[in-house]
Amino acid sequence: MMAAQWHKVINDLLSNKTRTVLIILSIMVGLFAVGTIASARYILSVEMAKAFAQINPSSGVIRTVQPFDSDFIQSVRSMPGVEEVDARRMISARIKVNDGDWTNITIYAVDDYQNMRVNKIFPQEGAFPPPNKEILIERVALNVIHARIGDTITIKLPNEKLRTMRIAGTTHDMAQLPAQIDGTPYGYISTETLKWFGEEYGYNELQVVAVKKEDKKAVQELINEIKDKAERAGYVIPISMTAEPGQLPLDDVLQAILMLMGVLGMLALFLSAFLIINTISALLTQQKRQIGVMKAVGATTVQIMRLYLTLVLFYGLVALMLAIPLSITGARTLSALMASLFNFDLNQMYIPVSSYLIQIAVGLLVPLLASIYPFLANLRISAAEAMSSYGATVQPKRDIIEHLLSGSNLWFARYTVRRSLLLSIRNTFRSKGRLLLTLFTLTLAGAIFISVFTIRASLMRTVDDLMAMWGFDVMINLTRPYRTERVTQEAWRVPGVEEVDSWSMFPARRIRPDDSESVPIYLFAPHIGKGLAASPTIFQGRWLLPEDENAVVVSSTLIKEEPDIKIGDKIVLKVNGKKHHFQVVGISMGFSLPMAYTSNDYALRITNNVGYAETVLVKTSNRHPQYIDAVGKALEKHFEQVGISINAATTMQEERSEAEAMFGIITSLLLFMAVLLALVGGLGLMGTMSINVLERTREIGILRAIGAANIGVAWVFILEGISIGGLSWIFSALLAAPISKALSSATGTALIGQPLTFTYSMAGLWVWLLLIITLSALASYLPARGASRLTVREVLAYE
Amino acid sequence: MFRVNAKRNGNHNKQNNDHINGYVVQLHQVFKTYESAAGRFTALKGIDLCIHPGEFVSIIGKSGSGKSTLINMITGIDRPTSGEVWVAGTALHTLSEEQIAIWRGRSIGIIFQFFQLLPTLTAIENLLLAMDYGQHYPMRERPERALQLLQQMGMAEYAHHLPKALSGGQQQRVAIARALANSPLLLVADEPTGNLDWKTANQVFSLFEALAKEGMTIVMVTHDNDLARRAFRTVALADGRIVGEYTNHTPQHLCKNIGNATHVPNVAIPPSASEAVR
Amino acid sequence: MKTNHLQLQSPLIRLRQVVKKYNGIAGEVTALKGINLELHSGEFIVITGKSGAGKTTLINMITGLDRLTSGEIWVEDVPVHQLNPEQAARWRGRHIGVVFQSFELLPTLTLVQNVMLPMDFARQGTLKERRERAMFLLEQMGIAEHAHKPPSAISGGQQQRVAIARAMANDPPILAADEPTGSLDSVTADSVLQVFEHLAANGKTVIVVTHDEDTARIASRHIVLADGEMIREAEDGK
Repeated sequence: MMAAQWHKVINDLLSNKTRTVLIILSIMVGLFAVGTIASARYILSVEMAKAFAQINPSSGVIRTVQPFDSDFIQSVRSMPGVEEVDARRMISARIKVNDGDWTNITIYAVDDYQNMRVNKIFPQEGAFPPPNKEILIERVALNVIHARIGDTITIKLPNEKLRTMRIAGTTHDMAQLPAQIDGTPYGYISTETLKWFGEEYGYNELQVVAVKKEDKKAVQELINEIKDKAERAGYVIPISMTAEPGQLPLDDVLQAILMLMGVLGMLALFLSAFLIINTISALLTQQKRQIGVMKAVGATTVQIMRLYLTLVLFYGLVALMLAIPLSITGARTLSALMASLFNFDLNQMYIPVSSYLIQIAVGLLVPLLASIYPFLANLRISAAEAMSSYGATVQPKRDIIEHLLSGSNLWFARYTVRRSLLLSIRNTFRSKGRLLLTLFTLTLAGAIFISVFTIRASLMRTVDDLMAMWGFDVMINLTRPYRTERVTQEAWRVPGVEEVDSWSMFPARRIRPDDSESVPIYLFAPHIGKGLAASPTIFQGRWLLPEDENAVVVSSTLIKEEPDIKIGDKIVLKVNGKKHHFQVVGISMGFSLPMAYTSNDYALRITNNVGYAETVLVKTSNRHPQYIDAVGKALEKHFEQVGISINAATTMQEERSEAEAMFGIITSLLLFMAVLLALVGGLGLMGTMSINVLERTREIGILRAIGAANIGVAWVFILEGISIGGLSWIFSALLAAPISKALSSATGTALIGQPLTFTYSMAGLWVWLLLIITLSALASYLPARGASRLTVREVLAYE
Repeated sequence: MFRVNAKRNGNHNKQNNDHINGYVVQLHQVFKTYESAAGRFTALKGIDLCIHPGEFVSIIGKSGSGKSTLINMITGIDRPTSGEVWVAGTALHTLSEEQIAIWRGRSIGIIFQFFQLLPTLTAIENLLLAMDYGQHYPMRERPERALQLLQQMGMAEYAHHLPKALSGGQQQRVAIARALANSPLLLVADEPTGNLDWKTANQVFSLFEALAKEGMTIVMVTHDNDLARRAFRTVALADGRIVGEYTNHTPQHLCKNIGNATHVPNVAIPPSASEAVR
Repeated sequence: MKTNHLQLQSPLIRLRQVVKKYNGIAGEVTALKGINLELHSGEFIVITGKSGAGKTTLINMITGLDRLTSGEIWVEDVPVHQLNPEQAARWRGRHIGVVFQSFELLPTLTLVQNVMLPMDFARQGTLKERRERAMFLLEQMGIAEHAHKPPSAISGGQQQRVAIARAMANDPPILAADEPTGSLDSVTADSVLQVFEHLAANGKTVIVVTHDEDTARIASRHIVLADGEMIREAEDGK
């Protein structure tokens, strides 16, 4: 047998099933959002690193111009500080699938695919290792080149040889940037096939794992040591790279994502806490009279509190039991989606205990805290007050809002506006506590939603700014420097070319004051004051001037690597093996790689390249994408015909879409968040409105009794919902500014070392308005429709 | 069956004279059965009731006698299980809930025991809202008429007060004004004085008497036999049946109408009427 | 006039200069203007007055449902005016049964559970004893057959009987009812009043507030309030 008071808890749960379901749903959505984000963030930060560790990622990579042999590998392996070393052959070639166009491809030849030591490549589908005279393609790259297993491709090798091969299968290579972002597909062949290619046997890429792989400086020193050793052995090293400890390809993007998830997760936490507080306090308001009755028959506040806390805990528990499995599924789906954009597979998606703990804390503690406050307030009022419906014994203080909406101040509405609108407006402000909570919830949800759109807009705007420098449509990289005059003239011969320019790019390194070397820097040398290269977006200082000699503009990405560089500093760059002094005059917006710019004239002079160019820039007469594409192809073909060997021809659209693809990972995450938050906000409103409706069932009866049709009743509530939604929209619009500013600044810092170009998203603002109005109309219409279905008799029985 | 032409003007006296030989309310063999957790319960067991235009009828009976159910039939708030309900020329038993709601706003005024004013609207706004729904008067005329009605109820100075600032009696006066807002053919009052002290109740009841004098048709449920006797006619209910009808007094203006109605025994309600009801 | 033998005992309830003020829209309203009153054990007191006379306020003071502005209220030897709402609730649970005009049964509990509730709160006896007593009280009120129905399944008169049973749950010496017949027709009202009469005859002190002067005829003591003051004490009725 059970005491009657506990029957009340059970019967309350069962007798009003709609309310029970709504409350549980409200709590559940909040928990789901928090749990999903917390777990997904953990999975992405831990499991991605774990998955990456499987390939035994290299600490550094050294490329040589001349192939080296296994003796050299052995000698590097025996060096102190080297944990593991592996080597492969890398070939940059051109590829044509069936009868399509030529595109770039990077082909690797590995001795023994089954026993790779560093940057391991895994089989995916079809044959493995690559059969003789056949090729495997990286799994993501296969889509990029629009090919399928079994298709035939033609490869044009640097030695001008053409080879036709079959795609025998796919691989999974996590060490590379995903092809959809990088734009360059990867192919894999055996060493026998390498011979068939007519290439000599040997390696040109050395992959090293340092013992102290966690120590960035030690790794850098080790790589420099190996490089010196190679150079002493007579190898020319055009490029060597080191990775941040444990850093994945696209780590900037991952870091930005984790940061955003962290911040949005916190906001979601607040949001769901508000939602729960809102729901619980509405429940208690509804029960105020019954609480008064129980006090009247001798219940102490503690006893009543125990009843309701049990009820609330039950709601929390059921919501938790639903939210936890859902959030596990949600987190795994989201993580897998994100990981797939990075070309990662997550095997074990372990859900952290902390995620459960957060959900339990929010699901149980927040409802408890939310219910304790009204009880503390209740302690002060007498049972008689608790039982009076409209505060018959104590008149509420008249406040400003009430005064503004009173009969005397809405005089203009007295004779013009329909009374039902007046009713909606007054009802909006009737329960100010609940209105405030609802507004909080909706405002936060709206602000985050608009912020998400704003970050997205800012990302796109940042891409625009990144592309600002490129006033040309096609960029052709030549395999070696050609006479500028010649290549320019040849370009002019192609129809559709409107302007031609050229620049050169030199690999460089900074020599720091302590004589240590920096990571590689791409030193661009555009023509200043003429030609097609415009100024990049300058954050600080100025762009180069025609009269500048050794002036240099450094990118924000270089500042990220070398934070001590300031404007006005004199820095030393090692270009083509020689040290040169430069003066920093500006900091430009950069992305992904450390870059620097100096004038073409000066750079060619110091490198003894006067009159030569490595890159041809072309502006076309028509900016239509297909036209630009066609001109690009025509240029490629023409250069080939006249014997100018080209490495790659890229249109700026391709460049842009690559940059957008990289930001697209973030954008898709943001979109997911936006939907989730809109859901939380919408449900919050739905809960509040339906409780509002429940509370006013009697008034619906009155409306019906004085002749309001269903639609008339519904409108009163719809307008109320819309005015709450509209009000929250205004606040959201304001609150979104600081939130999105902070977020885009943090996102920018993670991605490009500088804040993003901030653009407040008007689209986001209007989409949210549309969404909130629709949501609030629906959230109020649905419960109102249910209530107006009751007959007036049932409704008036509520008194 | 007689059907009231919906064409009306603002003056209910005239309009009542338009259908002198008809009834405002006619119930024919009305049965109402409720199915509830407590089992099947028949609240009305074959009610036949006719009310002439301009009549003031009180309905008495103990709780559970079916008087509230009867009133709910007349207002269309509830629907009969079987039988016919004609009010103001409309066959309510054939209409949908939605149609009845619209009809109700235009044709009848309801007054409740607990006043049921909308708490967020001022007195005059409560009237105007009813007029908005009734659509009986043009927009421009509404404020003036609303004020006029409040004046008639002695509530003009409280026009812009919220209900919570009014006493019970004052709220009920506003509620009566609201019931009159769309010039209804019939006023239905469910225990209108049940929540008032006797003095206030007396004042409020006088308002009904004044309205009846002007020719308004009124049906009122009350448990106060003294007040019930002051109506022209009293219908006593018990156990879902009409167990007695008493004509208390017939005002001059009605003699002509009711004279040929044969079913009404022309006897005064005896002082022991309440005993008869028990 | 006052020759009642009950006077010989010390009074059960003593009110001294009880004042209650409210802050209303129109400013401060004094609902009770210094009430002095002594009520004795076993009396059946009916308090009448117009609406706004302060009768509901007065009974809320005695039951501790509301706090007074100044003055003293002693019930048995308890200074009710000094109790905070918490202490008042605990004290009321055992010493005063309260009955309201609109019954106020909890809608999600069955009738027997409603009656058991005050015993739960006061922790009276075992669960089995509580249930037995609740059934006994319902039987006394003649509604034992409906014991397991929800309040919505029975009539108003029956609901008020259950409410009285609930008020009697902890066997308090005092029963206070605010307009207990206000929502009932006269026949049902009479039968409910008979229940009170019966309880008073069996030694309970019963206080009934009503606007119906007729009720006074069954009272042993009739107090009339007007404008926050006692204007008349009539020894009519029995």
